Amino acid sequence: MLVHSFESLAARDGDGLRYAVFLAGCPLRCIYCHNPDTWTTKTGKEYTNEQILKKILRCKPYMKAGNGGVTFSGGEPLLQAEELIDLILQLREHEIGSCIDTAGNVALSDAVKKVFLVCESVLLDLKFATQEEYYTHTAGSLQRTLDTLTFLTENNIPTRIRTVIVPGYNDTEESICRYVAILRPFKNKITDWELLGFHTLGFVKYDALQIHNPLQEKSALPRERLAELQSFAKSVL
Amino acid sequence: MNAWRGFKTGTWCDNIAVAEFIRLNYTPYEGGPEFLEPATERTKDLFATVQELFRKEQENGGVLDIDTERVSSILTYAPGYIEKGKDIILGLQTEKPLVRAVNPFAGFRNAEQACKAYGYQIGEKIREDFLYRTTHNTGVFRAYTSDMRKARHAGILTGLPDAYGRGRLIGDYRRLALYGMDFLLQQKVADAEKIGKEDMSEENIRLLEDIAKQLDFMRQLVTMAEQYGCDIRRPAENAYEAVQWLYFAYLGGQKEQNGAANSIGRITTFLDIYMERDIAEGTLTESQAQELMDDLVIKLRLIRHLRTPEYNDLFAGDPVWVTCSEGGMCEDGRTFVTKNCYRMLHTLYNLGPSAEPNITILWSEKLPEAFKKYCAKVSVDTDSIQYENDDRMRPDYGDDYAIACCVSAMKEGKQMQFFGARCNLPKVLLMALNGGKDEIHGTQIAPEGKVFPDGEVLNYDEVLETLKTYMAWMAKLYVNTMNIIHFMHDKYAYERLIMGFHDTVVERLMAFGVSGLSVLTDSLSAIKYAKVTPAHGENGLITDFITEGDFPKYGNDDDRVDEIAQWITEYFYSELCKTPTYRGAKHTLSVLTITSNVVYGKKTGTTPDGRKAGEPFAPGANPMHGRDADGALASLNSVAKLDYACCRDGISNTFSITPDTLGVDADDRSEKLVAVLDGYFSQGAHHLNVNVLDREKLIAAMKDPTLYPNLTIRVSGYAVNFNKLTKDKQLEVIARTFHNKM
Repeated sequence: MLVHSFESLAARDGDGLRYAVFLAGCPLRCIYCHNPDTWTTKTGKEYTNEQILKKILRCKPYMKAGNGGVTFSGGEPLLQAEELIDLILQLREHEIGSCIDTAGNVALSDAVKKVFLVCESVLLDLKFATQEEYYTHTAGSLQRTLDTLTFLTENNIPTRIRTVIVPGYNDTEESICRYVAILRPFKNKITDWELLGFHTLGFVKYDALQIHNPLQEKSALPRERLAELQSFAKSVL
Repeated sequence: MNAWRGFKTGTWCDNIAVAEFIRLNYTPYEGGPEFLEPATERTKDLFATVQELFRKEQENGGVLDIDTERVSSILTYAPGYIEKGKDIILGLQTEKPLVRAVNPFAGFRNAEQACKAYGYQIGEKIREDFLYRTTHNTGVFRAYTSDMRKARHAGILTGLPDAYGRGRLIGDYRRLALYGMDFLLQQKVADAEKIGKEDMSEENIRLLEDIAKQLDFMRQLVTMAEQYGCDIRRPAENAYEAVQWLYFAYLGGQKEQNGAANSIGRITTFLDIYMERDIAEGTLTESQAQELMDDLVIKLRLIRHLRTPEYNDLFAGDPVWVTCSEGGMCEDGRTFVTKNCYRMLHTLYNLGPSAEPNITILWSEKLPEAFKKYCAKVSVDTDSIQYENDDRMRPDYGDDYAIACCVSAMKEGKQMQFFGARCNLPKVLLMALNGGKDEIHGTQIAPEGKVFPDGEVLNYDEVLETLKTYMAWMAKLYVNTMNIIHFMHDKYAYERLIMGFHDTVVERLMAFGVSGLSVLTDSLSAIKYAKVTPAHGENGLITDFITEGDFPKYGNDDDRVDEIAQWITEYFYSELCKTPTYRGAKHTLSVLTITSNVVYGKKTGTTPDGRKAGEPFAPGANPMHGRDADGALASLNSVAKLDYACCRDGISNTFSITPDTLGVDADDRSEKLVAVLDGYFSQGAHHLNVNVLDREKLIAAMKDPTLYPNLTIRVSGYAVNFNKLTKDKQLEVIARTFHNKM
């Protein structure tokens, strides 16, 4: 698999302590992306599943508490679905659960479906709430994400929705309501809907890669505003 | 009143056996912190006075005042109080809080310089007295060989306890509370009788004299307590007396000695037995029990020794290391956690975060989950505590050991240690590559050898063989230097009171140390896996290295390089063991730098791993900052591979993480920290310092110290007040790896 990087301590991407594998390559170009270095597969390094498994197993002692495990993130991990299936199955043999952190914006091929069916849980990014915004700000398709969400909920795969709130784009109560309209039919089938505040920590990567950062003038979303929107979201969903 | 009423009896009633007493009488506590009480008004009031004094001390450049007219000892000063009538636990080192005593027994010049640095002059009478006295320092320098002087001067051996007290002892101060002094004196007299029946070997003669010195000072402690209105000849009869007696025993040692890191031991569960009894008898409330611990901790935070500014630079302020160990498991499978362990931790809320006492949690996988979570919460909130692996130490030390200083374990009252600072390993490598010469000054320090030629790629096997020769030379010199130091310390600055709270026949450990482990490891890895070419300077010695290609770096859980780190500690330890020690001490080794990694770095030239001349080493066993690519757990796993069997004096690792990386909220962070600790220690790792804070906070504190006056951070086996660090040190701490995932 083409791996961008490993993070042996990821505590914010799923339950418990998680070993995160960031896979290289992404079909989207989100304006607020904080990992633009994972867009192309060029930055990736080839690892065999055995090599990745060995690294993960070294961190198994930390996973016991709080239902920890592995999170495959990226980039878009589902671009390498075929290889992922195998690795997830091997991890299952070692009693380590896998979480897929995805935008759900790839075609629902048999391999992708299989990944979902063998993994333990999914973190699904719901980026924008209208097709127009979605396309403009990510170059992707809202419908694909919704198809993914439908598949996940129909198959009872524990799914947590995440949405990045960007000042000036989707940080109003009205825009929260638009997401709610989409999510309401799935309300009882998803685990949670978590809002994440836009931050500027990824800006240095744009500079290093010498690519244009469309939000370079933006500041991070204040924590207080995030908390407000989060509780609003909870109350209306 | 019968002091032992209600206690289960055992052999402890006739012989000194505190551990057995504890096992028979303590009440394990598996619950959470719900029972804890806030500070009383009296505590708050008294502590406000103390905080004002702390502020004045800082304003005054770090020293409030010095009593320059008298030599510190147990009976030098009349009783002192913070505010007479308000103190519960009585006793200060001098007559007023924070007034420092002069203690020249280990080194007169040192005491004199320390006075001078703060604008004082040592009194004439003291000066005259010491004209006719040999200090430890004088004794050591009489015997030092030229090789030792050179190694010391070059900074290959640094921080040797040859000018101040050696410290790092833990008297079993609980004995005074449980037995009273009369019983302890009788035991010592009986020991002397027994030894007196044997042939008078040199060791037996020395032992007899040791006991006589101990008896003298133990009797003086009785007088000191009398002056405070307490009769410590008899055992403590209730919780208040148990705390008071124990503190007197500790305080006496601090008046007599100025050694660093004379620690207080494992006291909380012992004291809990008295508290539980009083609570059952209806004579103590929870609030009063907390007040006793709060008051004890206030007293411990006031302990001071007179140090030179150089010492403060080396150790980041003037820490005392009143290390207090708690938690852990009893050999019968019960936990040693009691309510009083919680009370000690709770002082960090009642009195705010603090470096002292240095609270050390003996971590076991089997500790009650509620206690684990509370400890983690305390770490997240205060950054003031450290963790050491009880499951790893218990097999070696039994279940009644404690930690001195940062990471040095010893059986309480049954083992003592000869503290030995540390050896600069990267400098040994540079010396090996430079034919035994100091790479900075060009002085021939070690036997002359080949200087590795300019422009010629280093061959790993040849470098390794050469390094081994010099490490062996270094180890021998190091042991012999320590032998002189401790012979002289026993002779001229023997710890008369503290050793009185040890068994007469005591097991001795000689604690060697190394610094710069990660620098030497990565340097060897660079030579082995990349291409390293030395470049000579004008003096014909290597001043730089050209490193081409990549190499595995320590801190990424990569066996190729982690094995090098393991080899270094194992090899150096085996070489140390080849030279016999003074008084048959057992050799031990630590990977601990406290904060001297900055100073060591300054004294060390450019190394093959890419570190430039003068740049700091990583602290303790930490990987070098910024070299761990796979995040925090991979870094912990690398350190966990070091074998405690050859590093029995401890392997220090400092872990800093931002709150947001660790979890979403306080509860989540505590749970995840527990998972980190369980995972790390289940691999046999030894020690972890935990900081949960943002780098931005440190930068802000550096710019304006008044923003966070109590900002406490863990550095390398102990905590410091960030504002007391030198600028260099602050910058180094900020540059360290903060695990921060975006």
